[in-house]
Parts: sequence; C-alpha cells; structure tokens
Amino acid sequence: MQLLTGLVIVVMLVALMRALMPSRVLVPAVAGTVSALVLLVVFRQDLAGTEFWAGAVGFVAILSALLVVLHPSPMVSVLFLILNLLCVSLFYLMLSAHTLGALQVIVYAGAIMVLFVFVIMLLNLKAEEGLQMGRGLQRWGAVVFGSAFAAMLFWVLRHRQGRPFIEPPRFVEGFGTAKDLGTLLFGEYVFATEAASILLIAAMVGAVLLAKKRLD
Amino acid sequence: MDPRLLQVIVEATAKIALILFVNLTLIAYLTLLERRVSAWIQDRRGPNRVGPFGLLQPLADGIKFIFKEAILPPQSHKVLYVLAPVIIFVPAMVTFSVIPFGPAIDLFGMSIPLHIADVDSGVLVILGLSSLGVYGIALAGWASNNKYSLMGGLRSSAQLISYELAMGFAVVGVLMATGSLRLTDVIEHQMRHGWNILWQLPGFIVFFTAAFAETNRLPFDLPEAESELVAGYHTEYSGMRFSMFYMAEYANMITASALAVTLYFGGYHVPGLSLLGLPVNVAALVQVAAFALKTGAFLFVYVWVRWTLPRFRYDQLMNLGWKVLLPLALAHVLWVALIILLGWA
Repeated sequence: MQLLTGLVIVVMLVALMRALMPSRVLVPAVAGTVSALVLLVVFRQDLAGTEFWAGAVGFVAILSALLVVLHPSPMVSVLFLILNLLCVSLFYLMLSAHTLGALQVIVYAGAIMVLFVFVIMLLNLKAEEGLQMGRGLQRWGAVVFGSAFAAMLFWVLRHRQGRPFIEPPRFVEGFGTAKDLGTLLFGEYVFATEAASILLIAAMVGAVLLAKKRLD
Repeated sequence: MDPRLLQVIVEATAKIALILFVNLTLIAYLTLLERRVSAWIQDRRGPNRVGPFGLLQPLADGIKFIFKEAILPPQSHKVLYVLAPVIIFVPAMVTFSVIPFGPAIDLFGMSIPLHIADVDSGVLVILGLSSLGVYGIALAGWASNNKYSLMGGLRSSAQLISYELAMGFAVVGVLMATGSLRLTDVIEHQMRHGWNILWQLPGFIVFFTAAFAETNRLPFDLPEAESELVAGYHTEYSGMRFSMFYMAEYANMITASALAVTLYFGGYHVPGLSLLGLPVNVAALVQVAAFALKTGAFLFVYVWVRWTLPRFRYDQLMNLGWKVLLPLALAHVLWVALIILLGWA
C-alpha cells in the first residue's frame, strides 16, 4: 500500500517535471531526486508507520527545493519555492503545531512570495539561456561550504545512535494553539521577538529611505 | 475498519458533499441574481427567456461554456496557463470548510456539528487560503504572455497585499474580544455578549471594504478594468477556463459574506430563539436558515454595490488602502483593547 502510494507520487512528480522542465536541466534534477530517494531508503527506519507521510512530504520538499535552483525560468522557480514552503507548513501540521502551520502559509506563501512574483512580473524576467554558473571565488566558495555542510550532515546521520531526528511531539493540553505560541513568544522568548521586530523596523526605514528620491 | 473512524469519514464526506452542492448551485444562481438585479437597477428586464423567470439561464450558460472552444494561446506558458484557473478556484472552494453554518443537530442518536472542520486557528486558515488565491490571478496574467493580462496580474497582487493587512487588523478586534481564533468560539461569545457589530462598527467597515478588494469586485476590480485593460488577467481565456475565474469570484463572495456574518453578526445565532423552547433539530434548522438569510443579504449588497459605484483609480485605491483603512484598523484595535481593559465587554 505504502509502496504503491510512493510509486504513484514519484510517477506524478516525474510527469510534472517532464511537463515543466526543459530537457537540459532534467538530468541534474533527476539525479538530485534519485539521490534524495536513496537517502530516504537508506535511513528508512525513521519513516515507518505514520512517518511515511513525513517521508513523502519531505521527498516533495527536497524535489521542489532542487527545482527552485535548477529551473531556468524565474517564475517557475518561485512557484516551486512556494510548493516547498507549503511542505514546511505540512511538517508543522504533522507536529500538531496548527497555528504555526497556518502562519507559515499566511506569511511566506501568502505575503512574501507574492512580492517575489510581483517583482518578477514587474521586471518581466525571461528564462535564462542555460544555467549560469558562478565563476572564480563564488564557485570555489560554493564547493567548500557545500562539502562542509554535506560532511556535517553525514556526521550527524552516523553519530545519532538510533535516536529519532525529532523528539515525538508532546501532546500536552493546548499544544500548538495560538495561546501556547503567544505565551512562548511574549514570555520565554520575548527578547528575541522584540529584537526581530526592531530589525524589521530598521529594514523598513532603510527601504523607505532608499525608495524616496527627495527627502523633505 | 474501526467503526468510529468509519463514522467520522462518512460524516465528513456527507458534509463536504452538501457544502459543495450548495455552494456550486449558489454560484450558478448568483450569476442570475447579478444579471437580474443589474437589469433592475438599470431599468432593463434582464435574462427572462430560459425557463420561468429565466431560472434556467445558469444551466444554459454552463452548457454554452462547455461547448465553447478552449483556446490555448501559442505564445503562452502552457502548463501555468492551464493551472492558473485551478489555483484560483480550489482555495476559493476550500475556504468554506472551517465556517460553522449551524449548531449541532441530533441525527440517528448522534450529535452532529454543522461545520466540516473546527480547527483551533480557523480564522488564520481562512486568511491563509484566501491569500493563496492571488497566485491564480497573477499566474493567469503572466502565463497569458499578453501585456494587458500582465498589467491585470500585477495590479491584483499589489491590491491583495495592500488590503489583506487592513482586513487582518480588522479581524484582530474580533479575536481580542473573543480570546480565541476558533470560529465556533467567536459565535458562542456573541451569543452570550451580543453581536460584535454593536461595538465594533469601524472594524466591520474596514473588514467589509477590504473584502470587496479581496474578491476583486467593483469598486475595486482594477485587475480586470475593461476600460483600460480589455479584460485584465483573463483576456486570453475562453470557455470553461474563463468561467472558472468567475466561479472563483462568486465562491470568494460567498465565503467573505459568510465570514462577515460569523465575525460580526452572530453567525447562525437568532436572538431570543432559546426562549421559544423548540426541539433541537427544529431550532437548528431555523438557525441554519437565519445564517443563509444573513449571508444572502450580504451577497445582495455585493451585487448592489457593483452596479451603483464607479471604479476607483489606481492611486485612489492605494491611498484608501494604506492611508485610510490601515490606520483606521489600527485605531480600532486600540479602541477594542481599551474597552476590554475597562471591562465593558
């Protein structure tokens, strides 16, 4: 049953990719997806039972994240980023953090990404001719930091000694409700919340200053 | 299968089927209402040839839409062009799932609540889903590869972002009064303390104005302003794909009206009904009817306003959103906070 569902999802995704991808980015996309699939199969002891759905959503999340980077058309990239953010929202829902899941959709998918779409439409960006590789410092920097991240991930996977990646959610009364979230944000983490709000205000003032040609 | 799980599935499926049926029928007949009322306002007759009083007109329209050629412009982005009407239509239909349309009824010895999902953050779910609808318009505009469509899509994304904020802050007033994001709690609070409209009039005005902008209805239908943009984002669409944009608009109107009723007009609450001592199911039916009546009144206001007010200019739209509605909504939040602090509510 699970295998069948997984197969159906994979076939649907491949069909979607075929429809949306020019052939030259198909190879890296398929390669990335297959390696993600292999990783999932290798560590499948974490994906038994109900966690199968976490695996399925994670698979879609990885695939869409890859396509954000690989797809030549900026508009389609943005759409895959939205799909990725919706997957993150689904993760929150699976951890029974409903409020956070809804906020993720409202803030990221509903507001920030609309601005991305707006800018792409305003500048009328067309698909790039092939993938633009960075050169020199950028390329070597990407190699160094990418390998460091891969090494760290591998180390974590090797040394977790059978512990689950995430502790199972504590089903205490009121977990994941707006009240719970608010108590945490304005109680325990009030300093971080206020610091973030000051940061946002600073960014807003800066944006207004840059956008306004003449100050009077 | 576990009988309890089976019961949940059957119950949910029945309610989803019921709501889909009612909503789709209502959408069809709202188009007729729109045309008849517009004719009445403009001193014409309106469609009255198909069936008695033109009642079969929506059916004729539907058949016509299905038989029209579905044009796929050669220069468009094919996949996104086909996907855009779906992206706008699905959130519009799904949003209704968290709105309670009646109290619990007794059926086969079980108490069945009359809403599909009673989620803890129902208001947030509605705001989140309705904010996804903008992608349908933006993508339709972009994928058509037509400058009028693109302008329409651009306008719609700017407009929806601007009015979403004011709408959110207007709703905050209701949520502060209730102390919960759950829509059933909002209704119960209004049953005990009186409808929110009695003391949250500024919030309601902001909410309702923003709802017009969110549903792209006149006087805020800038994304499809025909005098300047041909037909805006759906210039290139034809047949059933075109009609899906309209169905989504009417579905959004229904949801916005139902939400306004739920947040400010007591939802399905009928004052003094409990004094009559009716049987549970009869009282529930009366309340469902009251909910339908209230929602219907708002839907009529939508049509009424469309054929009465002229369209705003784009700069007027932005000024109204950012310089009038948003400050008003913020002031309203302070006012509600003051009332709660003084213990008047």
